[in-house]
Amino acid sequence: MLDRIVEKNELLELVDELSRERTIIGPVPREEHYFYEAVKNVRELDLGFNYCVYSPKAFLFPPTETLFRFEAQDGSFGATPVLEDRPQAFVGVHPCDINAIRLLDRAFSRDHADEHYLSRRGATFIIGIDCPKACIEGVFCVDMKSNNAEEGFDIMCYPLEDDGKGQVVYGVMFGTKAGREWILYHQAGRAPSVKDERDFKQYQRQKEQAFPRSIPYDVDTLPDLLERSYDSLLWEATARRCYSCGSCNLSCPTCYCFDVYDELDMTLTSGERKREWDGCQLPGFALVAGDHNFRGKAASRLRHRIYRKGKWVREREGISGCVGCARCDRACTAKISSIEIYNQLAEEV
Amino acid sequence: MTTLENPQLNQPSSIYVPEPAEIIKMAKLTEMEMHYELRLADGRPLGQDPGQFVQVSLLGVGECPISLCSSPTRPETFELCIRRVGKVTECLHRLSEGDTIGIRGPLGHGFDVNEMHGKDILIVAGGLGIAPARSLIQYILDERERFGRFFLLYGGRTPQELLFKDDVVRWRENPDVDFHVTVDQPDSGWRGKSGVVTTLFRELPKLDPNETLAVIIGPPIMFKFVVLEILSRRIPQTSIYCSLERQMKCGVGKCGHCQVNNIYVCQEGPVFKYAQLKALRESVE
Repeated sequence: MLDRIVEKNELLELVDELSRERTIIGPVPREEHYFYEAVKNVRELDLGFNYCVYSPKAFLFPPTETLFRFEAQDGSFGATPVLEDRPQAFVGVHPCDINAIRLLDRAFSRDHADEHYLSRRGATFIIGIDCPKACIEGVFCVDMKSNNAEEGFDIMCYPLEDDGKGQVVYGVMFGTKAGREWILYHQAGRAPSVKDERDFKQYQRQKEQAFPRSIPYDVDTLPDLLERSYDSLLWEATARRCYSCGSCNLSCPTCYCFDVYDELDMTLTSGERKREWDGCQLPGFALVAGDHNFRGKAASRLRHRIYRKGKWVREREGISGCVGCARCDRACTAKISSIEIYNQLAEEV
Repeated sequence: MTTLENPQLNQPSSIYVPEPAEIIKMAKLTEMEMHYELRLADGRPLGQDPGQFVQVSLLGVGECPISLCSSPTRPETFELCIRRVGKVTECLHRLSEGDTIGIRGPLGHGFDVNEMHGKDILIVAGGLGIAPARSLIQYILDERERFGRFFLLYGGRTPQELLFKDDVVRWRENPDVDFHVTVDQPDSGWRGKSGVVTTLFRELPKLDPNETLAVIIGPPIMFKFVVLEILSRRIPQTSIYCSLERQMKCGVGKCGHCQVNNIYVCQEGPVFKYAQLKALRESVE
């Protein structure tokens, strides 16, 4: 059920208004690609974007961030946590990336809650834009059941009518109280009519046909398939091409591993403890003291990544670790493709 | 206007901020290992379970995971045994008594001592594995009447590399523990047994498979042989505990460095039952 009908121009006016209190982050065209960037003017945004090279993850979990500042002078010991909670809004997030954010939300909330992530996340308003069709060849979000988002947004906009020249009519669904209040407070758009609901059903029916399938089985059986594939030769055969460069980790919207290190100021008496994205495909990731490496071979690292995305994260968090965005496949310098691996495994057993 | 509850309280807090602890005592155990006795700056006991670990911080240098080697039954202080293997541990060795370091923890899951009460206990420790084992050894000796028979086997590479030599002497004399020690490479002054730790199994009396809980802590290569010895005595896989070593960077189940298959060693471990580990490939490989 739709909650509201809003035209794109009006939505952008609202976002413009929102920019007074929040940093606006959305898709900006750069040469032939789109990137999520903080914009000063909403006119820089292109909500008709196909896909962004990276997900907006970096605005919730930056590539490097300070965990705390410290003073370490002559036995004194002072550490002050650094938490970032500047209000921001993501404008134009596709379902795959919303599902990836849901996973990050769970991973950073469970057990010991990570205040650094949650502080940023709590200050983030998310405006989703649904995809009527696959954004680019090679994505497999439909196979990962990630081409629809049920939650994880404040509002979701379904492009019911698009004249191809920039005039778009969105069916809007509220995801949170904050999203509802934002639209209703500004009295944006109008209430949906019976025809709008009919159009929305039609939109969803068409959507079902607009995402070509890439794997011949239900993704819910992928954990079992992987369970049987631990000793497959495929890992070794595929990893022979792997440069262990970590580009797949870097481009993944659900990777959240990190390294921790200290940085001293020039005075050598104060500094910061920081964290930085790390990648399980990098050779030293599972190294322990005494130089024993628990995943010293590229094959075991590749298997670790595919298992993590296809099985372990799902078992742990209840959400797929892979959203099918295929960013890893596109980023790989050796043309290693996770969807190809998912398919080859199915042929083997 | 948020989709998640903002967790920020009036006072910003972070799971990554360590608390200060003072070095009460520092003693060189070998060329490589230093023994630290510490107290939290606010004086409260650390409250660890045997087998848990802490993240040790030197501000400006970094942080590393270290097993606790003392028992919560001795709550005035807590102890660490730190091998010099990297940047942080190298700098830790250069500190002096009275210095302050940072501590986060206790972290992870240690030994389930309640399950161990009333049972015969067999501990097999190799090399640096004696450090985490010591937190349990002290616990058992301090609560001796709550346990059945207590066997302790300890193997080191050379006599010089044996850790906690004062304890070794005391354990040897202590009638409350059936203790045996061996070294792989004896020197001319060594009067004790020589050979790998599995050779000590012949010193043991018959074990009762249903009443014995076994604990293995040591390098991966030792683990494989010791677990065989224990299984061959018909002790079930659910009665064998092991402690895994990984390079935890966060200690709170996020950073991924200690992940073995679908578990985070820093959360579900570092102490596991063998029944659980054997399904976890890469755990000791």
